[in-house]
Amino acid sequence: MAAVLKAGSRFKSAVCDTQVMLVKAPAGEHVLSCGGVEMIAPTATGGGTPAPEFAGGTMIGKRYVNADESLEVLCTKGGAGSLALNGEALQVKQAKQLPSSD
Amino acid sequence: MATAASPLAEADFATRYAQHLLAQLQAGPLHSAAAPPGLQRHPAIAWAQSGLMPLCGEPEGAPQLCPLPLPSCADAALAALAQLSGAAALRGFSGAQLLSERAALMQLTRGGAISAGGACHLLDTREGGIALSLPREEDWELLPAWLQDGQAVDVGDWSALQARLVLQARDELLERAQLLGLACAADVDAASQAVPWLRVLHGAPLHGVNAPRRPPRVLELASLWAGPLCGHLLQLAGAEVVKLESWQRPDGARRGNRDFYDLLNAGKRSVALDFASREGRAQLRALIAHADIVIEGSRPRALRQLGIVAEELLAEQPRLSWIAISAYGRSAEQELRIGYGDDVGVGAGLSAIQAQACGQRMFIGDAIADPLAGLHAALAAWASHASGGGRLIEVSLCGVLRHIVESARLPEAAAWRERYVRWMAAAGTPATPVPRRAPALAAALGADTQSLLRDWAVPC
Repeated sequence: MAAVLKAGSRFKSAVCDTQVMLVKAPAGEHVLSCGGVEMIAPTATGGGTPAPEFAGGTMIGKRYVNADESLEVLCTKGGAGSLALNGEALQVKQAKQLPSSD
Repeated sequence: MATAASPLAEADFATRYAQHLLAQLQAGPLHSAAAPPGLQRHPAIAWAQSGLMPLCGEPEGAPQLCPLPLPSCADAALAALAQLSGAAALRGFSGAQLLSERAALMQLTRGGAISAGGACHLLDTREGGIALSLPREEDWELLPAWLQDGQAVDVGDWSALQARLVLQARDELLERAQLLGLACAADVDAASQAVPWLRVLHGAPLHGVNAPRRPPRVLELASLWAGPLCGHLLQLAGAEVVKLESWQRPDGARRGNRDFYDLLNAGKRSVALDFASREGRAQLRALIAHADIVIEGSRPRALRQLGIVAEELLAEQPRLSWIAISAYGRSAEQELRIGYGDDVGVGAGLSAIQAQACGQRMFIGDAIADPLAGLHAALAAWASHASGGGRLIEVSLCGVLRHIVESARLPEAAAWRERYVRWMAAAGTPATPVPRRAPALAAALGADTQSLLRDWAVPC
């Protein structure tokens, strides 16, 4: 079910261990999924296994983006499923450069 | 007048702290006769001469000191390293001077509730103060998620950020900052039991120190200040130091102040590898297998994702000393948390102690946790190598500062005030920071890759 996504929201996968926080979200209603199944609230209970075409896995600490980078999610717990927005697989975003000074 | 702390105990703090560091490393007694003369100066005099006072206080107000013997602890750590290594090159300057040399080279000055470098601010939440560092423009892009209201904050608009922060709960902000990779700490002084400045997480406890058979080979996988300072001090102690970076994410300090970068990195050979390729990762592992000391400043998961696991590499190279420098340590709760020298200083209680002493919260020094952690890490690395190696040692920025705080703790706010007033009077006119100068330019990124792989007999 498509829903409005908001920066700061947290979700977990219904079918694996993946957890994410939204860093940036596009306007409008969208379906954020993991393992081919729509992601659920951190307190909800899921079930099942990732679909084979969405079983590449997620890695903690990595940022994932859609093609135009209007969506960015941070993986806060890794899992067996892979992320998608409206059925389009998300890609790992390059790590930020180190600061020049602190 | 009755004083809260014994003046005698205070007056020789640096000597006692050096003895204490050496005792914890099982590295024998301090040879007081051979110690640098500066070790005997009173902590207030060390403050005045350190160049650190002009970096503390309101921009329009007078220079301040903090009633913690931070410069004396730097003097002590350097004196202990000089004794263990016997290196004359460590005797030409004081440890205290290292704390202010970046600010001197970059011409930074005190900003009160804004760090000397400018990237960290003291801010108010609904429940109290925090320090937040935003050293990169991209860090500002995380603020809508951090504040959870989805609204952007213009880069550099700290007052707009402050206006939104006062509505938010501090604990939740700290938790989300950790998830998002924002460097944020509570401005509190949480008194506790004595905190260790290092933890041996793997391998034998430290025991007795012998002179190394040959100069140790050091592989430095660290950036900015603490890790590179550690490598620099080991180099002055006699080690052969290689700075290893990835082509993808070189040390950001290469883009910063050139004089400071050269000061910390001149004389190190520079190796750059492609961490994204299987070959580059294999070369990284091979170089580690040829090293005596690894200085590393990554979060454990970042290295795990490259296939680098300290414990496994220690099994392959049983004499290796792996020095893991982090903001808050490698425990499961803290290993993801990032921090920089200024915010960690606040998190360790420095600003809150200063507020008890003089009524105002403020940053103490310039990224104060960095040089102090670098000094302590170098001492730990040398001691571990000289007692046979085979250890994973955690040195955290917060742990080092908390250890210093607990070593010098006073029981109540009135006692901090009393010591502050007394030390300010004893300090007199503070010296301006005096930097050392680099003897040469630092090597360009990757300048020594081929020669080093050849010299260390690593297939390339």
